[in-house]
Amino acid sequence: MVQFSPALDDTFAALSDPTRRGILERLGRASASISDLAVNFEMTLTGIKKHVQILEGAGLVTTEKLGRVRQCTLGPRRLEDEAAWIDHYRRMLEARLDRLGEFLQRSKRERS
Amino acid sequence: MRAKVSAAGEREIRIERIFDAPRERVWQAMTDPALVAQWWGRGNRLVIERMEVQRGGHWRFVEHSAHGVHGFEGRYREVSPPERLVQTFEWDGMPGHVAVETMTLEDLGDGRTKLTTTSLFHTAEERDGMLKSGMEEGVNQSYAALDRLLAKLD
Repeated sequence: MVQFSPALDDTFAALSDPTRRGILERLGRASASISDLAVNFEMTLTGIKKHVQILEGAGLVTTEKLGRVRQCTLGPRRLEDEAAWIDHYRRMLEARLDRLGEFLQRSKRERS
Repeated sequence: MRAKVSAAGEREIRIERIFDAPRERVWQAMTDPALVAQWWGRGNRLVIERMEVQRGGHWRFVEHSAHGVHGFEGRYREVSPPERLVQTFEWDGMPGHVAVETMTLEDLGDGRTKLTTTSLFHTAEERDGMLKSGMEEGVNQSYAALDRLLAKLD
């Protein structure tokens, strides 16, 4: 299968989870604290922290400690759309190549 | 098989596949509309609206699936049978996100063919940078023209 460089791999791993995509979508509207997100997604603080850490590791989210509150904002602009699209594109391309292989096998049998 | 990040602001996806078919046959499957219609849609119905396989020619394919209708299009940049095809690729759902796809077919000499697909994406970061520098240049040129005009009026 396709291997990604670590940075790209992190991005796609981060985007592979629906909760994390939800968090990105939520932060796309406005920044939020970890506890806001925990309420929004009906999760424990620990659970949300884990997701945010993964997103932060992929550079999709940045966090800043403001007093006792950790505020999360969207990381590099538009990366989430683009990364998701490129990932989708790659999967489409692989599926297309699978079909091309099947087609060539099928037509080979028909021709012989 | 690998995918990698190249220069800043660019992303490259590279996939290699070996097909048990001669190179001419693979080339034909990729460039003959009647054959493309049989695999490109990944099992979905495919309508080939345009397919002008020549340098500068336009292609537009529409996939009809249970999830909706998706249009894809681009232009052929290089058509060198039976070894190299370069085209741009754009999906209606992400207008402006153009990838350049380069497909290279290698005859393995045993009736098999290696197809290498390289897709280069220019990311927003780089496009924004280009746009900004282009605008700055344009603004500077306008100012220079204005300066010349003002100098004449003096």
